[in-house]
Amino acid sequence: MADMTVKGAALKAAAEGRFDELPIHNPSIECASRERIEAIQLARLIDQVEWTYNRVAWYRDKMDAMGVKPSDIKTLADVRKLPFTDKNALRETFPYGLFAESLDDIVELHASSGTTGKPIVVGYDRGDMDLWADCIMRLVQMAGVVPSDRVQMAFGYGMFTGGFGLHYGLQRLGCMMIPAGSGNTERQIQMIQDYGSTVLVATPSYAMHVCEVGEKMGVDWEKSTLRIGLFGGEPCTPALKAEIESRMHIVCTDNYGLTEVMGPGVSGECLASRDMQHIAEDHFLWEVVDPKTGEPVPDGEEGELVLTPLGKHAIPVLRYRTHDLTRVVKEKCACGRTTARMQKVRSRCDDMLIIRGTNVFPSQVEDVLSTIEGVTPHYRIVVDNETGLDRMVVHVELKPEAFSDSFEEMDAFRRMIEEKLKSVMLVASKVKLVEPGGIERSIGKTKHVQDLRI
Amino acid sequence: MSISQIGVFVENHPGHVARVLDAFVEAEVQVRGYCMSDTGDYGIVRFVVDNPEKAKQVLADMGCAVVAKEVLCLRLPDRPGELARIMGVFAKLNINVEYSYSLVSTYIAISVKDLAAAEEALKKETVELIDQAQLTALVDLDRSNAQEGR
Repeated sequence: MADMTVKGAALKAAAEGRFDELPIHNPSIECASRERIEAIQLARLIDQVEWTYNRVAWYRDKMDAMGVKPSDIKTLADVRKLPFTDKNALRETFPYGLFAESLDDIVELHASSGTTGKPIVVGYDRGDMDLWADCIMRLVQMAGVVPSDRVQMAFGYGMFTGGFGLHYGLQRLGCMMIPAGSGNTERQIQMIQDYGSTVLVATPSYAMHVCEVGEKMGVDWEKSTLRIGLFGGEPCTPALKAEIESRMHIVCTDNYGLTEVMGPGVSGECLASRDMQHIAEDHFLWEVVDPKTGEPVPDGEEGELVLTPLGKHAIPVLRYRTHDLTRVVKEKCACGRTTARMQKVRSRCDDMLIIRGTNVFPSQVEDVLSTIEGVTPHYRIVVDNETGLDRMVVHVELKPEAFSDSFEEMDAFRRMIEEKLKSVMLVASKVKLVEPGGIERSIGKTKHVQDLRI
Repeated sequence: MSISQIGVFVENHPGHVARVLDAFVEAEVQVRGYCMSDTGDYGIVRFVVDNPEKAKQVLADMGCAVVAKEVLCLRLPDRPGELARIMGVFAKLNINVEYSYSLVSTYIAISVKDLAAAEEALKKETVELIDQAQLTALVDLDRSNAQEGR
């Protein structure tokens, strides 16, 4: 058997179909028969609904109003009797209203940016952290990560789930974690060289930036110790991934997840079917529904992904509407895994944008602008990644009365809007002031966003 | 003694200044001086015109962000050292010139924070300060010259 820790070995093995040489974290689940997977899911769903009903008043009230009792869940299809959950539920109950346990049992808190200033807060108990680490250990091994790897984390830590989520799982596997955090690219490259990092965890756009800066610094990526890129936080196009792989001589995979149901690790990409990601089905019950009606779409067809975490106890959301559009197939994969695979999410059924890993809603911009004297509520968001990194420019329309003859004052006004936007969206944007009436008014649904990324 | 300068918020795109000027032509507002610079995505284009009230109204009616501001207007003799002399006066008194630009002929517009103080400073100098009526009269003179074919 080839040594998978040799640079390029995993991709070569995959290209030659030698998938038995690549690690699988938990074959008893990941390669189980459909019957076994569904039996596990049903047993856990029954427990999960009972746990939720008994402990979270918000769900108990909903289910009572719908006339549903935990005992009504007898098959997997019965999940459809349960209420949906959306982001609003988490916002309305901020911060702890959906928690099913005493805060004494919670060992970690994470948050993602909400749509109106208030973030979405989620908690984890010890068991949840184990479950999360299990998901991470699965997906990193799909990319060929082994315990002897040295992992440089270029995600920001903080409240964002990506940093600590991957950190704990990779450490549990036995990897040496190098918590570099985000930013300071030249230092990141120096660290890769000094510490012999073999895995880089980053957003794909940041990995591309590291690649380019390294090339300018004269780094020969082919000779670098770096072997694997683990991406997340934002969608990665196949073209971008292929470019990073060929220029940095590494293998890159990405994974899917969202704070509301856990964080990264809901599904992950294997080297056999790179556009489809294996769902950790024993931990998440998935449904694909018509976003308009909420009814299931036929098997294998595209719709909105709905997730019910199984066995997650601190915040047990039921049927979370992800607003992500995908399709799911259940056929066995060439890599040997039998878990269902979801197509990489490329579009959403709402207007959420992902900017450098942060969720941004156009309505946040609207909310901020409504608090500022001197600008109209009209705006346009233009997103591009010409420089390799996502860049968001917010066009803001000036009111005539806010105009002053001083360029200095105008620029200070512009920077003040940038600051206010950043404090709500948690990601920096550039504000471009435009003339009164300069933003096109359209009849009906106004197109606020122009996304020039591929 | 000062003149009214018209400042307009203009985006840095082809046609945006032309639109303003077309409106002036339409309203028979004559530009006697202007100033624009490369400040990035947007800028403030400043105009000195014969009829500032009308110019402001025309632009406001178009929905433009426009503001009038009082600035000094000086008529300098057309000989070397005159501009240096005037700036020297301000420098000596520690009066900061925010910006300045030349108009038709050797007229210059100067923006300062304290208009009265700057005017006072210039009183002791041999320099001709111009007000709006004189500036407008200058335009009228031009027009009558043109009509008489001179």
